[in-house]
Amino acid sequence: MKKLLTLSGLSFVFVLFLSLSTNAQRTISGTITDGSNNDPLIGANVLVAGTTQGTITDLDGSFSLNVPADAESLEISYAGFTTQRVPLGASNTLNVALSAGELLDEIVVTGYGTSKSREVTSSIVSVKAEDFNKGNVNDVSQLLQGKVGGLVISRPGANPNGDFNIRLRGLSTVGASTEPLVVIDGVLGGNLNSVEPQDIASIEVLKDGSASAIYGTRGASGVILVTTKKGEAGTSRVSYNGQVSFDVVDRVPNVLDAQEYVSFGAAQGTNLGGDIDWFDELTQTGLSHIHNLSLSGGTQQTTYRVSANFRDVQGIAKTTGFDRLNLRANLTQKALNDKLKITANIASSTEDASLGFDEAFRYATIFNPTTPFVRDESDPAFAQWDGYYQQVLFDYFNPVAIIEQNTRENTIKTLAASVRGEYSLTDDLSVAAFYSSQRSNTTFDQYFDKNSFFIGQNSTGQATKRNDEEQDQLFRLEANYNTELSNGIGLKLLGGYEYQDFEFSGFGATGGNFLTDAFRTDNLSAAQDFANGLGSVFSYRNTNRLISFFGRANVNVNDTYFITASLRRDGSSRFGEDNRWGLFPAVSAGVDLVKAAGISGFDQLKLRAGYGVTGNNVGQDQLSLQRFGPTGNFFFNGAFTSSFGPVSNANPDLKWETKTDINVGLDFALNDYKFTGSIEYYTSTTDDGIFLFNVPVPPNLFGQTWFNVGEINNDGIELSLNYVVNETYTASFTASRWFSPTLVSLTDDTRGVSLGGFQDGANLGSPGQNGTPLIRLEEGAPIGQILGLVINEDQPINEDGTWNFLDVDGDGTQDDISDRDIIGNGFPKWNLGFNNNFNFGNLDVNVFFRAVLGHDLVNTFRAFYEAPGQISAYNILDTSADIPNLVDQPQFSSRHVEKGDFLKLDNLTLGYTLGEGNLPSGFSKVRLFVTGQNLITITGYSGVSPEPRLSDDPNGDGSGFGSLAPGIDRRNEYFSARSFTFGANLGF
Amino acid sequence: MKFYKFSIQSILVALFVVTFMPSCTDLEEEVFSAVTADNFFQTEEELISALGGAYTSLYGYMGTTGPWAAQEVSSDEMVVPTRGPDWGDGGHWVRLHQQEWTSEDPTVNTTWGFLFGGVSATNRLIFQFEELQNPLTDPFIGELKGLRAIYYLWLLDLFGNVPIVTGFADVDPTPPTNTRAEVYNFVESELTTALDAVSDAVDQTTYGRVNRNVILTALTRLYLNAEVYKGSPEWSKAADMASQVINSGSYSLEADYFANFNVDNSGSSEFIWAIPYDAVFAGGNNIVMQTLSYLNQESYSLAAQPWNGWCTVEEFFNSYQDDDLRKGQPGTEEGPSTVRGNFLRGPQWDVSGTKRLVDDGTLASGVDPDGVLFTIRPEINELFPEAWREAGARNSKFEFEIGGQPNMNNDYPLMRYADVLLMRAEALWRMNAGDTEALALVNQIRDRAGVAPFDALTEDNLLAERGREMFAETVRRTDLIRFGKFTDEWWAKAAQDECKEIFPIPKAQTDANPNLVQNPCY
Repeated sequence: MKKLLTLSGLSFVFVLFLSLSTNAQRTISGTITDGSNNDPLIGANVLVAGTTQGTITDLDGSFSLNVPADAESLEISYAGFTTQRVPLGASNTLNVALSAGELLDEIVVTGYGTSKSREVTSSIVSVKAEDFNKGNVNDVSQLLQGKVGGLVISRPGANPNGDFNIRLRGLSTVGASTEPLVVIDGVLGGNLNSVEPQDIASIEVLKDGSASAIYGTRGASGVILVTTKKGEAGTSRVSYNGQVSFDVVDRVPNVLDAQEYVSFGAAQGTNLGGDIDWFDELTQTGLSHIHNLSLSGGTQQTTYRVSANFRDVQGIAKTTGFDRLNLRANLTQKALNDKLKITANIASSTEDASLGFDEAFRYATIFNPTTPFVRDESDPAFAQWDGYYQQVLFDYFNPVAIIEQNTRENTIKTLAASVRGEYSLTDDLSVAAFYSSQRSNTTFDQYFDKNSFFIGQNSTGQATKRNDEEQDQLFRLEANYNTELSNGIGLKLLGGYEYQDFEFSGFGATGGNFLTDAFRTDNLSAAQDFANGLGSVFSYRNTNRLISFFGRANVNVNDTYFITASLRRDGSSRFGEDNRWGLFPAVSAGVDLVKAAGISGFDQLKLRAGYGVTGNNVGQDQLSLQRFGPTGNFFFNGAFTSSFGPVSNANPDLKWETKTDINVGLDFALNDYKFTGSIEYYTSTTDDGIFLFNVPVPPNLFGQTWFNVGEINNDGIELSLNYVVNETYTASFTASRWFSPTLVSLTDDTRGVSLGGFQDGANLGSPGQNGTPLIRLEEGAPIGQILGLVINEDQPINEDGTWNFLDVDGDGTQDDISDRDIIGNGFPKWNLGFNNNFNFGNLDVNVFFRAVLGHDLVNTFRAFYEAPGQISAYNILDTSADIPNLVDQPQFSSRHVEKGDFLKLDNLTLGYTLGEGNLPSGFSKVRLFVTGQNLITITGYSGVSPEPRLSDDPNGDGSGFGSLAPGIDRRNEYFSARSFTFGANLGF
Repeated sequence: MKFYKFSIQSILVALFVVTFMPSCTDLEEEVFSAVTADNFFQTEEELISALGGAYTSLYGYMGTTGPWAAQEVSSDEMVVPTRGPDWGDGGHWVRLHQQEWTSEDPTVNTTWGFLFGGVSATNRLIFQFEELQNPLTDPFIGELKGLRAIYYLWLLDLFGNVPIVTGFADVDPTPPTNTRAEVYNFVESELTTALDAVSDAVDQTTYGRVNRNVILTALTRLYLNAEVYKGSPEWSKAADMASQVINSGSYSLEADYFANFNVDNSGSSEFIWAIPYDAVFAGGNNIVMQTLSYLNQESYSLAAQPWNGWCTVEEFFNSYQDDDLRKGQPGTEEGPSTVRGNFLRGPQWDVSGTKRLVDDGTLASGVDPDGVLFTIRPEINELFPEAWREAGARNSKFEFEIGGQPNMNNDYPLMRYADVLLMRAEALWRMNAGDTEALALVNQIRDRAGVAPFDALTEDNLLAERGREMFAETVRRTDLIRFGKFTDEWWAKAAQDECKEIFPIPKAQTDANPNLVQNPCY
């Protein structure tokens, strides 16, 4: 690791040298017109190619721009018109006529290649850097939130260390990966967190099977292609972007304050004399700052770009946040008469994160608001807990003590490097070889203080240290053949071979019983638990390999008819011996009806349809093998002896999930390309779903085996519109409708594998509501069904203070398990995004609204803490006042399932760009901006965040129903935040 | 230039061939953190470790929703009240005590899984050792068959009608249900065969394992309950099997009843078969966590906060005379109890015996009679939903270790000599109500407990004596069924149909195996 880091540093310095160049200036002026009528174009962008240095045309369509003497060309762009790059000659005057319709020639990145926008016949959405979400963005997926139809990106709380859940087009897997495959500059399986958002040039989302089938067993949940910024020939450029953000608490659960607590009603809380708002004690204004410095440039032979990014991010919960330093360098070198092109990329990321304790949120909700003090070190009664106020109640801990006494930290180091050589054998034929290596190392440190009541009254300290290392390497060979056949037919052929192997390894130890807190996680041998046989240690190593052959053909007939076909053969060591290789075909076709049928009134009207088969790999290694491992100890001849036994049932037939999908779309452009859009319909079926089934024991050794059995259906529609209203205003709108994914079946009679019609899961939990499944997985029904007793809305509480549930099964009792019914569904139905862009000369304004509709949420805060009966010792939600006569304990029912519909003013940015004349010397660009995020939310949901919950992980350990249990708002959830950012973009 | 082109092509092809061709399509999976049959079970130590698979499954016996819960909480000696927000758990603890369980309840499925997991583990090892024909492992085969028969004895008792599976390779993937009578015959035949195949040693070599006396005791239980299991009694066979254990001369009553249940109870002279639990090597005995209140963490300086759940039914508690040594004495306002017993109760104190424990949160769950003072009282105000947090005498039969871990060091007796004495007494009494040996055997037990001898045995006093002696040793449910009282009404439980004497086949199992037949009334 150290060696590689040094290498990275060296190349950094090397590239720095390359970037040193000097600037002399000259002034270019001219006029930009609409080629169709010679009208001047007002507000057209004129840029020195490859820089941000530029200006816009005035009311006469004319401009004047200082350019470096060595600038080679200018880039002229205007919405709805083809961007032109015009070489600079000796003349200082430049008049350019733009022609409409250039949108269709925009380059779109596709799997293993690129394509012109007009030739795309599958469902691919391209989002350029200028359209990314702005503000306090620390995660690449956040850039896309609300921007792509059918792509839902959700992180309910504002945990800076929390990942976003990403779901494309519903749920197309039973038990494999739900997250799309991420490809960063050609490296499959990249980690989005290792890329600095400001280094990204564009992101393409491959939504349908015909686009993603070329990724075979990893394409079923969609593919996200990330392309980083590259240097451009002829310019050298330095830019700095910096910003400061303030995160403030947006919403918290509504609990009783001290006054309300002691005067609640018939029963009151125990008055301990103080007045503490525990949410205030737990939270802070999160102050974050981000700095990004990049250098880029090059010559015809060599281009480079180097960037360094540093961010220091604080969450709204005290003790949460991270520091991250990302370095990225890329270098492209041409040789052998430009026939050989070598591209090298290197990126490193180091992060120190303080994870904090999400558990503290739920204890802040229930901790007595009249507690006399948070901490008083002088009070001997609390000395055993370092002075923090504690009471010995079940599941009740001072939330501030949790976060202050104990630590939970991650250190993450990643290093990714790749090199690609491409050689043009002829003008039409090229071959390429690509190699990449990625390595990521995470160290986790957790220490519970000796006086931490959180881990028990007799805490003696407890330390955990673990280290997990992931690495993979990828090797790929490609051949590309592009030709123009004589009769106007364009042909592109691609063939390739790919090999990728992965290794996961790690070790860790947990031990307690320390004499002192001094060591924390730095001297585990001081933990007496190890001497007493009570410490735990582990290590592991797993590997797997993927080997693939792939090919694709694109045909373009007179820019009118387009056909694409691809095929991939994928083999994985994770598949059972009898099912090692899978075949993934796809075909799609499109026709531009304006050209083919002469339809008038449109600039473009392209009808396209695609069919594709994709896969989803098995999620764990070695499931197909019969393995044995240590299973404890047994008493043999007077001593405990190690015992070995099987650790799972083997399934040698195990294979990928297969998703087959059909996508039909219509792309259109009207009014000189000012109004563009597309509408799409898709339907897909996932077969051979991977699911852990109950099996008879015996003959099986274990009660559960992974089988390929399930079948899921998804369908939906997507709409996207973009309208350039006038020079100052552009609006775009995306909408998608998910029809709830349906679980068609989880039965295979021939193998005797069955769900028996349904299975209930996603337990609500302690205290007192174990054995309370929230989700029913049912054959023939939508996925995401919320299960529970049905409350009588008119009179939720009986006269005697018991819950008044409906007698659903009509047997005369009110709360047996057969009275449970389907009381909601956690899957969102509509996802809407509405973006408004205003340009008033130097001032730009962006207003972005986002809405998600049609999903229900289980408000577990209410299911546990809307509890008048608990008020004497625990704080409760203020909505408990609606049911003051409740004598029963809290019990989950339809009362706690709420609609999650919301509309948000998600992002508001004001930017001011200094005019040419006002720039300080040495600057080529100065832009100042302020962004507000998550500013206004309109929702009926009473919980903290109405964002859809796409996956359930009650214990944070991957247990439970996972993505089959959407819609559960758990109690350990981080609060939501509102964010304000002030920043500057500077070019030199 | 042509030459140049050729050269680049060659380099690329060579790179491809040399570097990657050998592994080009190799997808063999490598195993690092586990072993496979190819590289294990070869040395003597490795083969012995394989036998362990059959016994380590036993540690799950005391799991909070395993056979321990199925046998205890369904009977009148143990109950898990819903204490406000605690132990509601979807009502399954209440259903278990009221005998209203469903085929989806966790205890039903976990118990089935534990028992058939044991059957499966023994089947695999019997198959493996029979194939191996190794002098080291040959003796294990008979022992494993005996152990399997005991798993089936438990299945016979709890579920009645279950599939009999003895093979491992090439067996029916969805084995059909056998009748309870068929299971009875299978168990009888297997145990009888095992008698001569297992060791008759009673020492360290068989501690925690199946020896001849374990098989004899299993046979005693089988015959004693034969009327329930197959419809006709086998009293004389039961008496005979018990006498073989007694006459082996290997066991004797401990002078102190609690010597059987102390932290260091390994090798008690009454243990015929025990699960050798250990805080470090063999976790699974969590009675301390199940039964004690959170506050009692201070009473014993426990490493973890207990869960305040399991306690005894007041009527059962009252079946002990106050001077019964097995009952023990309560704590008082002067200090903690000084006389240990099956039941922890009365005012509670910290470990030093100087600080009276106070429950700040008492009011959170119903108002108990003495407010915040923490006084465990045998009276349970209600089964649910608002049982006092301090209600119900706690199961302190197994000594709580000062500074103890959630996993206790106390071994758990599955078969104990005192039980064999009482079983022989019962079998003799069933055949002849005036049998003097029977009376003497029972009075031997009473004598050790410090209570006066019976003048005669009756159905009631025999059942009650078995209850007092064998509390928390997972025999009470079977006893109640044999005495025809299991489905009677008691305290917070209504009378039930006799079909509740066996549990339903879990839904998860009928889903997985369509050839299983659900038991009557489920």
